[in-house]
Amino acid sequence: MPGLLDDVRVLELTNDLSGAFCAKLLADQGADTLKVELPGRGDPSRHEPPFIGGEPHPDRSTLFLAFNTNKRSITLDITTPTGRAVLLRLIVERDIVIESFTPGYLAALGLDHEALRQVNPGLIMTSITPFGQTGPYRDYRGSDLIAQAMGGFLYTTGQTDRPPMGTALEQTAIVTARNAVIASMAALLQQRETGEGQHIDVSMMEAVVSTPPNFIHQFSFTGAIAGRGFGESAVLDGMHLATSDSPVTLTTAGTGGNPMETWAAFLDEPRLLDPKFNSRQGRTQHWEELLALVEAKLSRWKARDFMKEAMDQRLVVGVVQSPEEVLNCPHLAARGSFVVRDHPDVGTLRYPGAGFLIDGVNPVAGGRAAPRLGEHNAAIYGGELGCSPEELAVLRAAGVI
Amino acid sequence: MVEQAVLAGVRVLSLEQVHVLPWGTAFLADFGAEVIRVESADHMNDRRSGPFPDGEPGEEWWNEGGTFAYWGRNKESLCLDVTEPLGKEVFLKLVAKSDIVTDNFRPGTMLRLGLDHDSLTKVKPDIITLSCTAYGHTGPWRAYGARARTVDAVCGLSYLTGYEGGEAVRASSNYMDHTGGLNVAYALLMALYRRRKTGKGARIDLSMYETGVSCIAPALLEIQQGIARPRLGTAHAWKAPHNVYRCQGDDRWIVITVSTDDEWQRLRAVMGDPPWAMEPRFHTVSGRWEHRGELDDHIGQWTATHDNEALTHLLQAHGVPAGAVLTARDLVANSHLREREYFEVFTNENAPHAGPRVYAGRPFRIPNIPEALTLVSALGQHNAQILREVAGLSEDEVQQLLDAGIIATRPKDPARPAATASRSDGRGRGTWFDPDYKALVRDSIGPLAAAPGSDD
Repeated sequence: MPGLLDDVRVLELTNDLSGAFCAKLLADQGADTLKVELPGRGDPSRHEPPFIGGEPHPDRSTLFLAFNTNKRSITLDITTPTGRAVLLRLIVERDIVIESFTPGYLAALGLDHEALRQVNPGLIMTSITPFGQTGPYRDYRGSDLIAQAMGGFLYTTGQTDRPPMGTALEQTAIVTARNAVIASMAALLQQRETGEGQHIDVSMMEAVVSTPPNFIHQFSFTGAIAGRGFGESAVLDGMHLATSDSPVTLTTAGTGGNPMETWAAFLDEPRLLDPKFNSRQGRTQHWEELLALVEAKLSRWKARDFMKEAMDQRLVVGVVQSPEEVLNCPHLAARGSFVVRDHPDVGTLRYPGAGFLIDGVNPVAGGRAAPRLGEHNAAIYGGELGCSPEELAVLRAAGVI
Repeated sequence: MVEQAVLAGVRVLSLEQVHVLPWGTAFLADFGAEVIRVESADHMNDRRSGPFPDGEPGEEWWNEGGTFAYWGRNKESLCLDVTEPLGKEVFLKLVAKSDIVTDNFRPGTMLRLGLDHDSLTKVKPDIITLSCTAYGHTGPWRAYGARARTVDAVCGLSYLTGYEGGEAVRASSNYMDHTGGLNVAYALLMALYRRRKTGKGARIDLSMYETGVSCIAPALLEIQQGIARPRLGTAHAWKAPHNVYRCQGDDRWIVITVSTDDEWQRLRAVMGDPPWAMEPRFHTVSGRWEHRGELDDHIGQWTATHDNEALTHLLQAHGVPAGAVLTARDLVANSHLREREYFEVFTNENAPHAGPRVYAGRPFRIPNIPEALTLVSALGQHNAQILREVAGLSEDEVQQLLDAGIIATRPKDPARPAATASRSDGRGRGTWFDPDYKALVRDSIGPLAAAPGSDD
């Protein structure tokens, strides 16, 4: 099926994962997305381990492969006068530019939104930076862990008696990108009405602050300062509990307001009916005793059998699945959640879809794996911009592409 | 909302409960869509969840909760019983005048109510529907329910999260609600874009599970090649120093994330080039990583004598990537966020005794697209207006619905929730309370000039 955004043209000029993922969210829906990379080196994530095949290779980083599907790559050094001129030609027919340079960097090159609008008044620019375009921290350096820390997320993760723990796999980039694509789509809908392109300022720190468990308004309503240790003593509410194989997590949902009766019956453990476990406070106070009772029963189950049996009775539980179990999950297979992409260097791999089906079909459009560095130079410079082979040779020799 | 709002004229009917779907539709409401929250007087989960102003639910507690305000922002409220034939009839009249219908019931509920996508296309052929469920409408797990924390486990994120070398730990209390809600908004904006272009509606089947799976894509590629990703906590696969370090004060921390030799030399200089740091084994990236335990101990001893925010500014001024581990209180007081006017300070007129409160804002600014929090609806606040103006009902018909209990402005069970309910909302055991929070909230309401100066 044609992509939802098959008339949208995007240019990505980023050097971080949130910019790359934001562009991917557009590219995967069919937007023609051109990734402009630094000659010789490319997107920094090309050099992040691990690599498919084990050895460092700019086209084989799993981070790069995961975040850059359905894009075309060209190389261009925008700091040179020629590179700048080429970028201005590439901008003419684009709808959205996504960039992640330090605030002021593009302005110094004469490539800020104002300058680009001279050649393309409808151009939307989505700027994604660690702390935003304004404010005292605007020039500060960022990283995933810094965003977790300054965004208030880190303080709330881990055990009360240990340091903050953090979360895996660049989730700060993901929530920032999801916010950025929402803002970009709003600006695009407006651009289609008015012809005007906006400059969007996205802050990673702010994206993280708006993500943790409601903790800003909790503070302003009650003075609560959310800390670590959620689930720590919550046997029926989020703790990981041992079974005979993988851990599981229980909830009181689906028990019709009678959690102890329901779980006592399900686990065949009448001691759960002790009135001291009736309230949430009681369960917290006596959590060690409760844990012993529940885990003794759970040790007779395999996690998946437990999940099926409990879920079939409309209880709400979870199994801690490994990535391998997720990959081989029959439910995801039945829904066609994964898409298959071929890549000349890394072969055929399955990639997760967008998280939804449209009209019953996985909407992820296009068939491209992540591009090799500069893979589309000839097609773009020779084809779309009409450069002659001689001109291309000159650009290449000058290190511009 | 403002006149030229980008989604002006778009009407959304949302049969929504708790978190993930409300978080998604809130973006549309911010952009000027008329989002009508269709509520049931029987189910007050969102409105009951608190926190209540200063921990005390008031007389009309269902209009006072902070979390309801945060996730329900800028939406209208229609308290309508769609399970009654008369209620359903009215709902279908509204569908005929709407663009989007969303729900987060378990699969099958909308079909049973006669409100599934195919039924709705009979009254509105180009309707966009989005059903936000745990596992989706197809596949063997379709009937199963979820909470954010169970999705965290099932999607693989918990498995990857934990202290270095430790066991799997849930990544967050409700991250999956937030990332899922963001995906809802993305999917709806995509569908709206296509409809403007082609006139076609859409049936969107969005699952929290698959959204979670999309958050761990690199690990899924790796495992296909037999590469297992280790749990690293705050450490890094090749960078060092890259960790969280204790600072002066109780439970105060800073993170330092050094990637290059240049950044290491800068850090060393800020520390005063101590003899241990000059040892050759710390000169290279691989050497620092190999000896990172020792490196972390030394750095931790140094940071322990510093204030975490002051040290952040000192390190960043010298080009060292660092960041204080900030708490909710630190953030509300933060000069950078204040200067950027990030927070929403909002007075809910439907909770008069609450007064102004601070909420997290939007992490983006779009010059001609405002997104301020301007409305948190009382239960059923817009019943009459919507039924008259959108559904075309007469005053009498509205009154009949009210008399029949099909519409309402009070919950069926108005008994006050316990005051402590506000203290158990997805928080860890390490949560503590600042007795002076009101002063800080008051302080954040004034103009920026009244805020404390830069905390450099």
